[in-house]
Amino acid sequence: MPVPRSLKRLALRALLPREDYVRVMRATFGDAGHGYDPLGLSAEDFAFAMALAFPFYAHYFRVRSYGAEHIPKRGPAIVAANHSGMLPVDGVMLAVDIARKTRPTRIPRTVGDVFIPFMPWVGTAFSRAGVVSGSRGNFRHLLESGELLLVFPEGTPGISKGFQKRYQLQEFRVGHAELALRHRAPVVPTAVIGAEESWAQIGRVEGLGAFGAPFLPVPLTPLPLPARFHLHYGEPIALHEIFDPEDSEDPSVVVKAARIVQTAVEKLVQRGLSERAGVFV
Amino acid sequence: MVTGATTPLGRSVTRALLARPGDGKVLAIGAESGAGFPSTLAAPALYYERADLTRSRHIRSLLYGSAKRHNVEVVVHAAHHRSARDVGDAVHALNVRSTRELVSLSERHPTIRRFVFLSHVDVYAVDPRQSVLITEDHPLELKGHAPQRVRDRVEADLTVCTRMGLADVKYAVLRMAEVPIADSGSQLFDYLRSRVCLRPLGFDPMLNLLSLDDAVDAVVRAVDSDVEGVLNIPGADTLPLSRVIALAQRSGFGVPGPLLTPLYGARASTRGLEFRYDMNHRRFHFSAILDGTRAKELLAYEPLRPLNWDAIAAAVRE
Repeated sequence: MPVPRSLKRLALRALLPREDYVRVMRATFGDAGHGYDPLGLSAEDFAFAMALAFPFYAHYFRVRSYGAEHIPKRGPAIVAANHSGMLPVDGVMLAVDIARKTRPTRIPRTVGDVFIPFMPWVGTAFSRAGVVSGSRGNFRHLLESGELLLVFPEGTPGISKGFQKRYQLQEFRVGHAELALRHRAPVVPTAVIGAEESWAQIGRVEGLGAFGAPFLPVPLTPLPLPARFHLHYGEPIALHEIFDPEDSEDPSVVVKAARIVQTAVEKLVQRGLSERAGVFV
Repeated sequence: MVTGATTPLGRSVTRALLARPGDGKVLAIGAESGAGFPSTLAAPALYYERADLTRSRHIRSLLYGSAKRHNVEVVVHAAHHRSARDVGDAVHALNVRSTRELVSLSERHPTIRRFVFLSHVDVYAVDPRQSVLITEDHPLELKGHAPQRVRDRVEADLTVCTRMGLADVKYAVLRMAEVPIADSGSQLFDYLRSRVCLRPLGFDPMLNLLSLDDAVDAVVRAVDSDVEGVLNIPGADTLPLSRVIALAQRSGFGVPGPLLTPLYGARASTRGLEFRYDMNHRRFHFSAILDGTRAKELLAYEPLRPLNWDAIAAAVRE
């Protein structure tokens, strides 16, 4: 059900700094004529989602970010981050941070799992906020349109790993590297520190298969803990300068390219962990 | 030669072809008698012929009679059964067998060199695991339990596709987005005729809609071109279902998905309306937008004329 405009305005006025709202509404995106892009993004709905997330971003998780200047100002690019925290709170915090820190403002297109569109309300809300399901065609369209993609190459295994495996990266999927290579899009390795401790998962219920979701997570706490989030953006990696873009069809080259991204993210994670003073400070 | 010339799209294509400079002629084919053909189209270069395309003999007489006499070079096949509720052999004969017959006879015809088939976005499977943007190589709706209209459209489309590159006739299949106008078989138009439009609760997919003007522009470009292949023809309006309902000045109401098929079935039974929820179930849940890149490259077609929503709102109220 569409959210009433009055409620959106109220949330935007009450929760989101005015300058953030203005900058998001001025951000360029592929508006197909009615305020939506073909994949469902609406700048107003992104701003609304940002307004709802902003209190968590600013006051609960007290996000600090470093190196946002590494995110390309324009053109196709991929922000590749580690994934953790049971529910994709890390994705929300990253999306808000990218929209706030980029000049001109870039609305990141978060690439989610393919089961998301099957989920009532969630699928629609995510799509309005710029989330796309991770099909090759969507990925290709966004890169060809010069968009900024936010991907979690670990996929569901990253977010579903138990607390005992925190900050241990799961095997990176290789699709992002292949498409980055083919479309000559730089990859910005990114580390999210804090999400692992904020909402630890102690188990999961499998086999329910509701709306295509692979499992139901069992959290340690009913709500996420206010661990401080640190977002570290690394220097962009031009995979197309390391490998020949023509080799994007070669599986061994693509695996090597994905390993380079994974190693860079791993280094940033280690740096982030060593630099933080504590989980909640 | 334009088949289905008495449909809104057929009439508009005929008018646009007649309006072109040059001394071209148009042979318009319809199921209705000539008296029913709009007099506004009367022109010295227009010839109207009534033909029953469900009958092989009529098609043969048409192609080797009038079409040969008028030196028809291009066939625009736009005839299809408009009612989504009708099923059976007669429907199949018009939707599929007529296409097969026209294709077969065109290849042996002395003057026909081009065949433009008007297909529909319905032929594509809507699958959220695939891309939202549908390119021409997207999977087709080949499920056995699909409604006959969809199965017929897929079969007719593939019937034309299978002949590409095998004959002197150049084939173009235009897979067009839905044109929401009356008397065209548009499911969405019929859906919007209810004051309260029921939607699946929790879903609001993106739709792409085509205006009649853009549809005609694409067909005329295909007629004038020698491009062979399948081409998606998207429209200029890409918007969520809820916005479509609002722009048509109707009220939208979310209902759990499983209830919609019986509710709309009851509506069709009691009010004789055409909309079939089972035919639209997937696209009312998941976004599916035609990617028009190939048409842009090969036909220089771009959707530039958005729908007139005030006119649609007025039409659905009638």
